[in-house]
Amino acid sequence: MAKLSLMFEDKIVKEVPVGSRPIGIGRSPDNDLPVDNLAVSNYHARVYFEGGRLVVEDLDSLNGTFVNDLRVERATLHDGDSIHIGKHRIKVDATGDAPVPWDTGRKVAAPRINETMVLDTKVRREMLQQAAAMGERTQFAAGRIKVPTLIVLNGRTDQKEYMLSNKLTVIGKSAMATVRLKGWFKPQMAAQINQRDDGFYIGPGDKVPVVNGAPIHGPVRLNDGDVIEVGGVRLNFIFRE
Amino acid sequence: MQIVSGGVSDVGHLRTNNEDSFRIIVPLQLFVLSDGMGGEAHGEVASAMAVETVAKHCLDAQENPDAPIFGEPQAGLSDHARRLASAVHLANKKIFDSAEGNPEQRGMGATLTAAWIDGARLSIAHVGDSRAYLLRSGSLQQLTSDHSLVAEQVRRGILTAAEAEESQMQSVLIRALGAHPEVEVDAEEHTLFVRDILVLCSDGLTRMVTEPEIAGTLQAETNPIRAAEKLVALANEYGGADNVTVIVIRLEPGSIKWFSWLRRGAQKNAASNGSAGGKLDG
Repeated sequence: MAKLSLMFEDKIVKEVPVGSRPIGIGRSPDNDLPVDNLAVSNYHARVYFEGGRLVVEDLDSLNGTFVNDLRVERATLHDGDSIHIGKHRIKVDATGDAPVPWDTGRKVAAPRINETMVLDTKVRREMLQQAAAMGERTQFAAGRIKVPTLIVLNGRTDQKEYMLSNKLTVIGKSAMATVRLKGWFKPQMAAQINQRDDGFYIGPGDKVPVVNGAPIHGPVRLNDGDVIEVGGVRLNFIFRE
Repeated sequence: MQIVSGGVSDVGHLRTNNEDSFRIIVPLQLFVLSDGMGGEAHGEVASAMAVETVAKHCLDAQENPDAPIFGEPQAGLSDHARRLASAVHLANKKIFDSAEGNPEQRGMGATLTAAWIDGARLSIAHVGDSRAYLLRSGSLQQLTSDHSLVAEQVRRGILTAAEAEESQMQSVLIRALGAHPEVEVDAEEHTLFVRDILVLCSDGLTRMVTEPEIAGTLQAETNPIRAAEKLVALANEYGGADNVTVIVIRLEPGSIKWFSWLRRGAQKNAASNGSAGGKLDG
């Protein structure tokens, strides 16, 4: 049976057999061959049998579909051809061309890249740059650095505002706390703010912090402008440019 | 504060060899974990070399504080953190040189995550996708940043954390020991509080077991070796797709002096694979 192998850096990421049903290729996870890269359109291309021949058809993708380095709208595929989509290569194995009824075709489990591998610095830079250039969700406007800051609105603390430069920020009376609460009966560790890959999260300490009026019992991601109340102080979380 | 710790390493259900290594050096309160990579048995060689080099460099520096520092020393760090980063630079060099000198070891590499506790100060040095976690007041916080392609995409806002977990690219690292003659080492310091629980683990744990399950296990099981065993058992129960290594370190309120002196007599020493643990007042 004909099959398509999604390759990344000479390793097979996923293989799908081509039956009588078209194989959708694209970034959206509902494709038969999802390709996780922002250079790839949601529904980028499809591969199917037509008159006994394997055909690839570009679905008006933004960055194009290439067969053996030639950009194509539609092309007949031969055994050993390479389809390039974004940074990925799809190897065409067209041996045993006969299409099989799709409903009997067993779904092939998606093999992940099992062996750990290290990316070459150059390849990694290119991939990240390309992904960033394509990324609609990219948060970083060029040239602007946003500093997460806590501003004290009410209550007694050792400073008026705090830049969150550490991964762990403790709010409490403890001498080791970043935001030090002053006064009697204050908790040693009232709450904590932790930096994760995707943002800053506040979690309870000895007290349950209240964010924008709602008590929180587990880590909650902070948004620009959130108001935190804990241990008798009110703090404003902002990203300062 | 009193520190109790324990570690467990297991091959898992799908692999035939264990490429993870760890060491606990109780007298120094130094904890080192590494996950090796490379064909044949070279992953094991790389991770063992990483762990032994880091442990030895730190032990040597206790004898001779003027021992040379490897890599660019980072400003604003304590001696312990600088020494730990230096040890990781040295481990990188050793693995790289070994792979260069032995063609059959080409592509050999390792992750490294190390923690060194000095009083209330925690120093961490890290390269790769093994992790250090801190459980404090019921919240589990990842102290290290994964040096993987997907984690980098999350940091740049290209992928969401949920998309990263689904990605097929999870095993693609952007930094590891042994890949290049020089490596960038993450080194940082944190202040520890009584009742904090630290965990060092290989990705064989975090790919299989969710963070709430890790937090729940640490809260339910107060003996560090048994907590590590339970986490390894959970990873295996969920498939055990990779080698699993877990070190659990608990910071407990100090006991009264004569009692702690008695406990010190029962102290166990450091050991490599299998399981190891120890107690020491800090």
